[in-house]
Amino acid sequence: MIDFARVQKELQECSKEIDTSGIRVSPKSDNLARLTGIIPGPLGTPYEGGSFEIDITLPDGYPFEPPKMKFVTKVWHPNISSQSGAICLDILKDQWSPALTLKTALLSVQALLSAPEPDDPQDAVVAQQYLREYQTFVGTARYWTESFAKASSLGVEEKVQRLVEMGFADSLVRSTLEAVGGDENLALEKLLSS
Amino acid sequence: MEDCASSDEDYYYSSDRESLDGLENEDSDFQWASSRGPSTKVITKESLLAAQREDLRRVMEMLSIREHHARTLLIHYRWDVEKLLAVLVEKGKTDLFAEAGVSVVESEDTGMAVSSSSTAMCEICIEELPTDKMTKMDCGHVFCNDCWTEHFIVKINEGQSRRIRCMAHKCNAICDEAVVRNLVGIKHPDLAEKFDRFLLESYIEDNRMVKWCPSTPHCGNAIRVEDDEFCEVECSCGAQFCFSCLSEAHSPCSCIMWEHWTKKCRDESETVNWITVHTKPCPKCHKPVEKNGGCNLVSCICGQAFCWLCGGATGRDHTWSRIAGHSCGRYKEDREKKTERAKRDLYRYMHYHNRYKAHTDSFKLESKLKETILEKVSISEERESRLRDFSWVTNGLYRLFRSRRVLSYSYPFAFYMFGDEIFKDEMTNEERDIKQHLFEDQQQQLEANVEKLSKFLEEPFDQYADDKVMEIRMQVINLSVITDTLCKKMYECIENDLLGSLQGNTHNIAPYKSKGIEKASELAVCRNSKASTTTDKCLPSDCGTSGKRDRPFSFGSSDDGGCPSQKRAKESYGGGFFDLNLPAEL
Repeated sequence: MIDFARVQKELQECSKEIDTSGIRVSPKSDNLARLTGIIPGPLGTPYEGGSFEIDITLPDGYPFEPPKMKFVTKVWHPNISSQSGAICLDILKDQWSPALTLKTALLSVQALLSAPEPDDPQDAVVAQQYLREYQTFVGTARYWTESFAKASSLGVEEKVQRLVEMGFADSLVRSTLEAVGGDENLALEKLLSS
Repeated sequence: MEDCASSDEDYYYSSDRESLDGLENEDSDFQWASSRGPSTKVITKESLLAAQREDLRRVMEMLSIREHHARTLLIHYRWDVEKLLAVLVEKGKTDLFAEAGVSVVESEDTGMAVSSSSTAMCEICIEELPTDKMTKMDCGHVFCNDCWTEHFIVKINEGQSRRIRCMAHKCNAICDEAVVRNLVGIKHPDLAEKFDRFLLESYIEDNRMVKWCPSTPHCGNAIRVEDDEFCEVECSCGAQFCFSCLSEAHSPCSCIMWEHWTKKCRDESETVNWITVHTKPCPKCHKPVEKNGGCNLVSCICGQAFCWLCGGATGRDHTWSRIAGHSCGRYKEDREKKTERAKRDLYRYMHYHNRYKAHTDSFKLESKLKETILEKVSISEERESRLRDFSWVTNGLYRLFRSRRVLSYSYPFAFYMFGDEIFKDEMTNEERDIKQHLFEDQQQQLEANVEKLSKFLEEPFDQYADDKVMEIRMQVINLSVITDTLCKKMYECIENDLLGSLQGNTHNIAPYKSKGIEKASELAVCRNSKASTTTDKCLPSDCGTSGKRDRPFSFGSSDDGGCPSQKRAKESYGGGFFDLNLPAEL
């Protein structure tokens, strides 16, 4: 049986430190076995400025068994499946310790965002790109962050539409946007100079 | 001549378990006492603990550590004491311990002085609890008993009993087995029992040199070998098997060859071959069609007509010279070649298989013959004659069995050794031819002598006059020695000239033993412990702190679900007080 008392305490603890860590955990419904975690993209990474939603399911044996976590927000990262959001992280598997908490686990996920391990990939395509064409990887990751992890910013489609209206070809607009990481102004500059 | 042969054979007389038990035990004891004794041991339910203890004690004494630490070390090093010592010498005690997750707290208070206050916070359940409800592990980490218990239960159920790590993050320490036993025992005594069984059976499961006897129904024994995994053994239950792959004894075939061979004989690959050679698929329903005569316009039972020459669909009208709407005069070399090849492979396989089968059958028939021959012996012994000693008959008979066995397995060996399936690029064709001739020469010599031996043994010597019997006796003794020598030579050839010359040889075979398959001897257990195996006295108890067991230790464990480990025999029969057949793993 899940130790709900502990989960309650974890949630309280987490909400107290929201300002310093930026990590939020909230129950999906009144059932504490299904939770949602939010982590901010680490500064100085292609994920900066994004806010990533993570789906958390607690197994019956929690905290003696690891929580199940996966990204809901699409993310471009060697250790996270670009399709399913599955996370390849040791502490979520055999290195889990009951002394870890949801917050520490989410912090580890956040740390994973800043320090990918392409040698132990979850998503082989991303890992290949990371190793061979690092700049393209950064571009794509930033573009995905812009597109999927920023609720407030304009949607990509709108940017594309505006640039197309200026007279650029749709496919060119999209590839340029992706190359500059989704910044509309940078893309325009690049399109004009080319 | 006779003497040397018979002393050689006396012991093996004893592999006839049904009738000659008492006699042989003495014999074998004497035999083995003179040499080092058989290195192969039977580990029974009674001696398992003793076997484990031997190694534990060695490590405990050498490193002056407690039993559970020694066990943790040994489990980590898969019960390989030599390996453990090598690491000790190479890296030192600290590293040795750290790698295995052993934390020996020296001279520190291991008692319950968790902190000076009477309560403390358990970081797992985040509760403030009295310190007497908490436990400190050797590594120094303290958590409450409830959390520890939950942790242990989860780990035991995950099948990780042998290495339950501390709950603290990144702490590699292995939990004290006595603590596990105590805490789990309070809530789930059956699970604690299971935990003990896991620890005990780790000696078999994790040990490269120990394996469960593959007998079905399982006899409950395990076999321990020394030095060499590539050998053939006989369990005290009578099962003979290859220790390396646990299938029937198959030397001089290597395990890989034997696996290929049994698969080949079992599945329908040869049937498929036959179909390739003798049938063609119908172009419509794709069923194989066999032509049973007539012209080349064949019609399938599905109604489709097709040309037997090319396999293409045709109309039904035809004359002697041509089929309506069809012409296929062109010669297709490829197809012909394929058929030829399949035919050749099939005949090759049949050649080896027939001989293998013939010798296996002879072996079975001769095993039946044993009774008749022994009867003849007893008739002869009762006769008033100057011949009293008939050991040459039984010796000859066992020599026949052993040689027959070698002979029959030499065929699958040759099939692969000189075939394309495993050693395609190992030899040039010339090399292969030379080696094949060399081998076949020896094989034939052996074969001829085995048949002769068989013939003489089948003679109705109980009805012959003494002179004639003496003659047969000479022949049998002679042939026994010859076949033994020939077997030895054939093995030498296999080991040195054939397998030995391969590059990156992964084919190991059990060496030839003149005396036949080694019968594993019971592991000596001190008499008094035999009775007490099932009581707390012999438990993997801990001489330290809280490890006193107060429950009897029985193996009739109630729960056994899920994946039995690979080392276990496939089938098992239930029941039994101490039943090693039950899979302990979850």
